[in-house]
Amino acid sequence: MAAAQAAESATFVPWTRGERPPFKLDDLDRQAVALEARPGQLVLVHFFATWCEPCRDELASLRRLVERTDPARLRVVAISVAEVDARVRSFIEKVPVNFPILLDRDRAVARSWEVSALPTSFILDARLQPRLFIERDYDWDKLDVAALSISLSRLSPAANHVATVQSNQRLEDSQ
Amino acid sequence: MTMHRRELLKAGAALGASAALPKFAFAQAPSFAPKPGAWRQFRVVTTLEIAKPNGKAQAWIPVPSVNESGWFKSGDSKWTTNGKAVLKRDPKYGAAFVHVEWSDDNAPQRIEVVSDFSTQDRAVDLARPGKAAALSEADRKLYTAPTALIPTDGIVKETSDKIVAGAGTDLEKARRIYEWVVENTARNAATRGCGIGDIAAMLKSGNLTGKCADINALNVGLLRAAGIPARDIYGIRVAPSKFGYKSLGAGSATITKAQHCRSEAYLSGFGWVPLDPADVRKVMLEEPPANLPLSDPKVAAARAALFGSWEGNWLAYNFAHDIALPGAKGPAIEFLMYPQAETAAGRLDCLDPDNLKYVIEAKDVTAA
Repeated sequence: MAAAQAAESATFVPWTRGERPPFKLDDLDRQAVALEARPGQLVLVHFFATWCEPCRDELASLRRLVERTDPARLRVVAISVAEVDARVRSFIEKVPVNFPILLDRDRAVARSWEVSALPTSFILDARLQPRLFIERDYDWDKLDVAALSISLSRLSPAANHVATVQSNQRLEDSQ
Repeated sequence: MTMHRRELLKAGAALGASAALPKFAFAQAPSFAPKPGAWRQFRVVTTLEIAKPNGKAQAWIPVPSVNESGWFKSGDSKWTTNGKAVLKRDPKYGAAFVHVEWSDDNAPQRIEVVSDFSTQDRAVDLARPGKAAALSEADRKLYTAPTALIPTDGIVKETSDKIVAGAGTDLEKARRIYEWVVENTARNAATRGCGIGDIAAMLKSGNLTGKCADINALNVGLLRAAGIPARDIYGIRVAPSKFGYKSLGAGSATITKAQHCRSEAYLSGFGWVPLDPADVRKVMLEEPPANLPLSDPKVAAARAALFGSWEGNWLAYNFAHDIALPGAKGPAIEFLMYPQAETAAGRLDCLDPDNLKYVIEAKDVTAA
């Protein structure tokens, strides 16, 4: 029951609003980073802000996800929304992460990706098509990357709904 | 007519409470009844220092630039600096600020800005429409338009339409929106996360928590979506509240962190009407013993007063949104309420006083 409730309160839903515009944003070292497709690699695009309480806890679980995942299978990109570089930099100095932090200084990317709440995460397939998204915090320790990878590669975006339900059940059960 | 009678009853009740009870009775019958009549002069000194500039630096320091004959007069601003400073205004809203640039990156970069202003309490008699001048077409357009933080379509419009459905006059609509904001901006542990900093995201996420720049912006956005001119006023508290509300005044002469924005709606006949639903929520959160319910008499008194009146213990800097700071490398800022600065490394964090050091001091200099 507990698992079912957790799944109900924090579940990915299929993204049905098509492709999102590509972006190029500075990272904390002021290097412009663009999202590039790599064969077989899923991308987790995570929007957050340092002032958003649930976002802070989530960064640690994203860090553990990267630690335990083959980088060829999944890449994590976090995007800070509408914050000054200095604030994000000093926050990340205290809570180091092992994935790039990009700076959406004027909310342009958050807006074009239709992000209305923080945190929000998208899972993109290897062609950078958004397939799943979640508009709240998520416990990334529960994510079964292998299962997710298989279900997304097998199914077309139109069949996402089935994939979501199946992958979520498996993810929750496997913990 | 019904509307007016209700307003009259409320105004009457508030006046009665303050007139009939001696001050020591506060605990039994809190009163929050700002009344115009006594102008106060204030001097505010903002000192800013960039300790480790690592290259050329610049800063933008807001100064009082609101002039409303009934309640606020901006005076002169003067400065002392080892940089080159110029008083500038944003072209759209007329928001004034001192722009200072330093060329020597070895010396500590410092500026002190001294600003004078005078203000008094405001109270609009909502029972009797007066003969306020009509708003110019240009101002009506400006103050019903969306801004980066305040979209007026989509979920903002839908929410506004629901709130004002069936309301007749603009006064009635503004009252409904104010009460809705007061009642719905509570913290709710079940909500999903945070907004991305605009009011549409607040409404969509269901998380209507925040401070004045969120809550009063929501009030302004819902009003604008209803076609009622409304504006945020960005400022800072400069003195304690004379009504004994600790949460609604500056705690000491050092007001570095006392920034506060208020809002107004333009109602035909009444002119600009003061509104501060964010301060009602602040009273609930902070007035001892804290976390007061809406039914608490102290909250009720503030709630009744802050639709139509406010206390003159606050500096109004400007009404501006989406300001492109001249010479800045960083993006436009949504509002200018905090000093801003940039070095070669980019925009400094105006909320991190360890890296961008600034101190704001306020003094009541009203002649005795």
